[in-house]
Amino acid sequence: MNAAANPLLSVDRLTIDIGGAKVVDDISFTVAPGKVMALVGESGCGKSLTSYAMLGLLPPAAKRTGGRIMLESTDLGAMSERQLRKARGKDISIIFQEPSASLDPLTTVGSQIAEAYRVHQGASRTEAYEKARQMLVDVGIPDPTRRLDQYPFELSGGMCQRIMISIALINGPRLLVADEPTTALDVTIQAQILDLMKKLVSERGTAIVLITHDMGVVADIADEVAVMYAGRIAEIAPVHALFAAPKHPYTALLLASVPKLDHSPKADLATIEGTVPTPSEFGVGCRFADRCPLVTDKCRSEQPPLFQSGESGHRSACWHIDRMAEIRGVAA
Amino acid sequence: MSETTKVLELRDVAVHFGGRGGFLSSPGPVVKAVNGVDLEIGRAETVALVGESGCGKSTLSNTIVGLQAPVSGSVKVSGEEVVGADKKKLNDIRRKVQMIFQDPALSLDPRSTVGATIAEPLIVRGVAKGKELKERVATLLQQVGLRPEVADRYPHQFSGGQRQRVVIARALALEPDLVICDEPVSALDVSVRAQILNLLVALQNRTGVSYLFVSHDLGVVRHICDRVVVMYLGRFVEIADRDTFFANPKHPYTKALMSAVPEADPVVQRSKERIILGGELPSPANIPSGCAFHTRCPLATEICSKERPELTSRPDGARVACHHA
Repeated sequence: MNAAANPLLSVDRLTIDIGGAKVVDDISFTVAPGKVMALVGESGCGKSLTSYAMLGLLPPAAKRTGGRIMLESTDLGAMSERQLRKARGKDISIIFQEPSASLDPLTTVGSQIAEAYRVHQGASRTEAYEKARQMLVDVGIPDPTRRLDQYPFELSGGMCQRIMISIALINGPRLLVADEPTTALDVTIQAQILDLMKKLVSERGTAIVLITHDMGVVADIADEVAVMYAGRIAEIAPVHALFAAPKHPYTALLLASVPKLDHSPKADLATIEGTVPTPSEFGVGCRFADRCPLVTDKCRSEQPPLFQSGESGHRSACWHIDRMAEIRGVAA
Repeated sequence: MSETTKVLELRDVAVHFGGRGGFLSSPGPVVKAVNGVDLEIGRAETVALVGESGCGKSTLSNTIVGLQAPVSGSVKVSGEEVVGADKKKLNDIRRKVQMIFQDPALSLDPRSTVGATIAEPLIVRGVAKGKELKERVATLLQQVGLRPEVADRYPHQFSGGQRQRVVIARALALEPDLVICDEPVSALDVSVRAQILNLLVALQNRTGVSYLFVSHDLGVVRHICDRVVVMYLGRFVEIADRDTFFANPKHPYTKALMSAVPEADPVVQRSKERIILGGELPSPANIPSGCAFHTRCPLATEICSKERPELTSRPDGARVACHHA
């Protein structure tokens, strides 16, 4: 896999601690230029914390207690706040779920986009505005000259998300972190934004770390997928391999619980019994053990490492990869 | 459908907002949120209402429960007219129709135990009290898959999925004929969604309740609904039985919606024909002339901007409002 050979981003054994609990525990993955890595999981699985750590944006209560985050040869974790400020928005950018909450309501969108360029490139006002106008064309906003002078409230949600993307990409970052970028949008607008992101990835070679809980979005845009559960990676694989033959019971059940086109209407859907453990309930073994249909004593006493399984790059943290056929029986 | 099996009957319902000038201000534009819709829902039937934000779904839901008065048309719940009903009558009708919203955390009183929350409608209506009330609450909790002991707990002690179960228990307390489910699973985690969908189906099988299921998730709609209604800018553009609807969608807007919903299968998703709609939903204060969809429609011709297409029946039973479909 060339992602491993020449990664743009490599997260190596990242561990984040909140009040003594390892809410992100030993996470490693790499992303190659121009590729999309999806971090998938349910609320509280640590996917957002992992991505915020890349930008040095962890909340005060959260501490990075181990591991490294490298953007090519730069150690993001070793940067001072001053250096981070220079890197954010220039080498690595982020877009959030709710664009209207991320934009300044009292400033025109034009000056918000231009600001990002002026701060990092030291460009003149005129130059920055011209660049901003060009960005609006690139993200598909019609009538860009008029839009530059408008305020966020004058624009729709989809339009605001395009503005956020313009701000994030105006300095040509190598890495874009997208935290649920389409969750707040309508499906037809979501399709437009996903297409835009695909186009930008292929034209500019920007790598994307996409945080989502929507398996449909993953299937649409991701090259590789890391499924997270309770702070750990349960399974990591190229997207086609993951959907075709999941190697972790959690992934398999998650996929089976989404109503499919060939599913008979109103028949029972596969469910995952119980709830995600809170950090205080994390045991020594596999954190999925209490909800897993394949659970044995070993699962409760010993944490499974990520085993290589099947095609290259497909790894799963399960003691019972060879018993996955039983899950498919449960899921069917 | 005979008279008695209809739990909901909408006739030419229109809901408009604004238009009146305020003190010192000139009249604003009239927002035509719902613009003449007809619909019937039978007993134990689930009808999906599909459309994007601003299409009028929520206004229509509010009108059905009598929270919003229509400017014209008739709304009958289990044969009783909601429009123009006096307070007492409206109160009687409202016990027959209940609502479930998207975010259960916002639907529950954080300072009230879930037992008290579920008991409230029973007390208000004078249905039960004392020991009998306790038993009713326990039974309702069991029906939605919760242990009766949890009645003494507060909403914050529950997970999102469990809270939605409490909301469902409260909605069912008065044995309604119709429950309006407004995106009931979209705020929930994926693994929990399936549990709630299974529960809704099981409850319908047991009680014969009907659902008006407002959603934009076509996978969920296909799973749970018998009939699908697609709404665009205040009007229905397509109505069809589930199988007809998914096998042979006709309206160009329906087709675009279907192609826009990402399928959780990379092989299917990446090979399917995509219709990406240009532009945004026009404002309901300024609805385009003729067919409201013509500004974004790939099939639009001259007639579309001049003449509004009516819903017409097709050989397979679907009804579609389009000049070209």
